[in-house]
Amino acid sequence: MKRPVPPLSVLIVEDEALLAMDIEAMVEDCGHVVVGAAASLYDVEALADDLRPNLAFVDMQLAQGTNGLDVCRLIRLRWTDTFIVFVTANPRKVPDDYCGGHGIIPKPFSRNGLMAAMHYIEEGVCDPPPTSSSPSSFVASPAFAASWDS
Amino acid sequence: MDERDDWRLTDDIKHEMGSGDPFAAAVRATRMPMVITDPAKSDNPIIFCNEAFQALSGYTRTEIIGRNCRFLQGPKTDRASVRRIGEAIDEGRDIAIDLLNYRKDGSTFWNALYLSPVRNAAGTIQFFFASQLDVTDRIETQTAIVEEKVGIEREVERRTVELQSALEAKTLLLHEVDHRVKNNLTMIGSLLRLQARTIGDPAISDKLEAMLERVDALATVHRRLYQSDDVTRFDVGAFTENLVSDVIGSSGRSEIDVISDIDRIVIPSKMAAPLGLVLNEVLTNAIKHAYAEERRGTLHVSAKRQEDGARITISDDGPGLSGGGPPAGGLGAALIRRLSQQAGATVQWADADPGAKVTLSFKAGDE
Repeated sequence: MKRPVPPLSVLIVEDEALLAMDIEAMVEDCGHVVVGAAASLYDVEALADDLRPNLAFVDMQLAQGTNGLDVCRLIRLRWTDTFIVFVTANPRKVPDDYCGGHGIIPKPFSRNGLMAAMHYIEEGVCDPPPTSSSPSSFVASPAFAASWDS
Repeated sequence: MDERDDWRLTDDIKHEMGSGDPFAAAVRATRMPMVITDPAKSDNPIIFCNEAFQALSGYTRTEIIGRNCRFLQGPKTDRASVRRIGEAIDEGRDIAIDLLNYRKDGSTFWNALYLSPVRNAAGTIQFFFASQLDVTDRIETQTAIVEEKVGIEREVERRTVELQSALEAKTLLLHEVDHRVKNNLTMIGSLLRLQARTIGDPAISDKLEAMLERVDALATVHRRLYQSDDVTRFDVGAFTENLVSDVIGSSGRSEIDVISDIDRIVIPSKMAAPLGLVLNEVLTNAIKHAYAEERRGTLHVSAKRQEDGARITISDDGPGLSGGGPPAGGLGAALIRRLSQQAGATVQWADADPGAKVTLSFKAGDE
C-alpha cells in the first residue's frame, strides 16, 4: 500500500462536543489535519466520498442510537485504507477482532496519553514499524501490526 | 397336635369366644390389630378381626366381618400402594406397606400394614393374615421433616435468585457509575485543555498545564482501578510505570530515557488517588527541573516491595537539589506534603550526584 505522508488527515467521530473539540485540538497540536467531525453513523454517511481520511478516531456510543462498530464497518466499506482507532470508556465492548479496526485508546485519556498514542500511530501508519515503544494509552489490534508488512 | 390340627385351629378362631385354644386367645387379646381374610370366598372378605382392630378402626365386629379390607381406604389413600397390595395378593406373596386408612368417624391414620398368605399342607392359600400398626406419628414427623426441607430449599432458592438479581443490578449500577465518572473526568480534562490553549500568558498556562496533569493522573488512577478485577486494591507499581510512560513518552521529550524496575505493589484503593497525585507531583517536578530546556538525560524509576512496605524511587541525572530539589512553596509542595501524610507515606529528597533522588516509602500488601 502507498504510505501517507504527514500531516495525516483525520476524521473524528464523537458525540460529546467537548471531547470532539479537545481531540481535534490535540490532533492539530501533533501537526495533523482534522478533515471531518461526525457525531453519529448518519453524519459519517453524509460525508463526501473524496474525504478519504488517513485516520479515524471513533467513539463507541454515538448520537441517534448509533454505535462505533457500525461506523467502523461503514468506513471500511467507503475508505479501505483508513486506519480506525476506537476511543472508548468501555474497551470491553469492542469485539475480539476489533471489527477490523486498528486499536483502542481507552477513556479517560490524558493529553500526554493521547499525544503519545498519536505519535505511535503516525509512525505505524507512515513509516512502520514504529520506533517509539507502544504507549500504555494505546492498545493496538493485530490488524495494526499486520498493516506494516503490506 | 399335628399339622393338620394346626389348620383346624384357624377354623375355630372365627368364633369369637374360640375354643380355649391358646393361639386363638393370644390373637384375640394382643394389642396388635389383626384380621384374617378368606380368599376362597367372593371378594376375599374379613372372617376374623380382633379387639385391637376394632379399637383402631372404630368399627364393631358386625360391621367388619364379611367386608373386603378396602372399606378402610378413602379419598387420600395412595392408589399405587393399593395396587401393590392387590398384586401381592394375586401373586400370593407377603407385603409390608404404609397406607393411609380411614376410621369410622372419618379421621385418618397411617397404617403400617403387614399382609401374608397362610398356606395349607398342600401349599394352597387358605387365608390372608394381616396385622396393622398405627404409625401416624412416625409418618407425620417424616412428612413434616420432608416438607420443612422442601420449604427451606425453596426459600434458599428464592433468596439465591433475589441475591443474584441484586448482584446483577449492583454490577450494572457500578458499570454505569464507572462509565459516568470516566466521561466526567474526560470532560474535565477536555475543558482544562481547551481553556489552556486560549491563554497567552506562559505563567498561567503552565499552571493550567500542571492542573491538567493532576486531573490526568486522577483519570489514570480511575482507569487502572476499574480495569482490574478487584476495585478494592490498586497496583501502584503498574500505575507508576503507566504514569511515567504517559508523562515522558509524550510529545517532544523523547530525549529523556527511562530505565524502570517495577514490582507489583498492592495498596488499598482509597490510597490510590492521594499516592497517585504525590507520584505525579514528584515526577513532573523532576522533569521540569532536571530536564529543563530540552536537556537530555536518563530517569531511573524503581518500585520495589520491602519487608514492611514498599519503596518507589525516582532518580534523575539533572543538576541535583541545588538546581531543583523539593519544591518549596506553591501548590505542588503542599500537595506532596499533605497527600503523602494522608496516604501514610514519607517522601525523602536527596542529592544523588549526579542528580536528585526522591524516595517514597509507604505500607503495602504482601503480594
